[in-house]
Amino acid sequence: MSEPTRPPPPPAPGTPSKYVDFFLYASAAVTYVTLSIYNKWLLDWIVGPFWLVAWVWGLPALVKLIRRQPIRPRRGPVEDPE
Amino acid sequence: MSWAAHQFEIYAVEAHLPKKMIGKISWFAIFFGDFTPDFLAKFWVYGFNLNGHHYGATKPYQWHRGWPGMGFAHTLFFGALVCLGIWAWKHNRAWTIGFLLGFTAHVLTDVNDSIGTMLLFPFSTLNWSLHTWAYAATVKGGKYLDAAAYYSSLGFVMDLFWFFVVLGSWRVLTREFWRTKIVPADPHAWSWLGQWLDDRGLLALYRGVFFYGVCRMIAWTTWAHVVARPVINGVKRNGYPWDLSWTGPWWVQHVTLPHVTPWIVLPVTLTLLGAVYVVASALWERMESGSTKAIAWRNVRRKTT
Repeated sequence: MSEPTRPPPPPAPGTPSKYVDFFLYASAAVTYVTLSIYNKWLLDWIVGPFWLVAWVWGLPALVKLIRRQPIRPRRGPVEDPE
Repeated sequence: MSWAAHQFEIYAVEAHLPKKMIGKISWFAIFFGDFTPDFLAKFWVYGFNLNGHHYGATKPYQWHRGWPGMGFAHTLFFGALVCLGIWAWKHNRAWTIGFLLGFTAHVLTDVNDSIGTMLLFPFSTLNWSLHTWAYAATVKGGKYLDAAAYYSSLGFVMDLFWFFVVLGSWRVLTREFWRTKIVPADPHAWSWLGQWLDDRGLLALYRGVFFYGVCRMIAWTTWAHVVARPVINGVKRNGYPWDLSWTGPWWVQHVTLPHVTPWIVLPVTLTLLGAVYVVASALWERMESGSTKAIAWRNVRRKTT
């Protein structure tokens, strides 16, 4: 008799969904390219990466802020390999 | 000069590190190494206008890649000096070797335009160039003409080449790779940034340079061929003309500096790439004891103070 299949464990709280992530990255790219074609000052090595971070991290953070949830991450120490 | 290629090659270097360095080289160091040559030289290449006066280099190509000028910032010699400084300051091989690899990638990629780089500086001030596409930064045309020329020539193909190199190593962009190979190599930097950003934000920061490369490639190409209405030789055109021939595009003024014959450039460039790889690999082992001694000495000093 085969072992009964277990449902996959639910994702940990705060784990980003793949679909939400894809939407955020795609919308960041579309907005950035569209705007920067006509506003070329946006095509800058600081603005570009910052745009992605603002879009992918900033938008969910804004939603959390509206829901009065904590934004700043809580994490443990990281080991130094050297 | 190369455009998005410089963003893509950072990930290409990261994806093709020697086995012993995987997960141990600082991604930030590769980024800063690749970024430093243009950070030091490029601002004055385009210059800026203030009260109707243009401030900037009178001969952008001479300033950017020549001697006298800031051309030394695009030489392996200067990269090696900075690496010596990083090692003397921090005794951190993850940063020293990472910077060296990023810097080398930038310098060697830039031999493709018609100005090239002074590969053997300070022993020779001749430029090494493959003349694959025309160097197009001019006082009058500024950044826009430069972008239009690059994205109408084999420069565009160069960007695509590096883009597909990264896509061929797509794992380098995954969350798993970032978590297991990038963060452990630079725990302090990522930990510091982690005070403000969660994992999603940190990953976006890591992917941000690739994102910028892809977007600028699409945006500049679209602008140059769809939006712009240039007047070339008195004829108004719908977009800048494509010219994927060697040393194209035909519609920019060709400038050169004293240079070596292009036939020896590719073999010498590949030899130098191999030499840097061998040197980095050899130094990596030797630097391990240096790093350990430095950390031990730092710990001793902390205990005694």
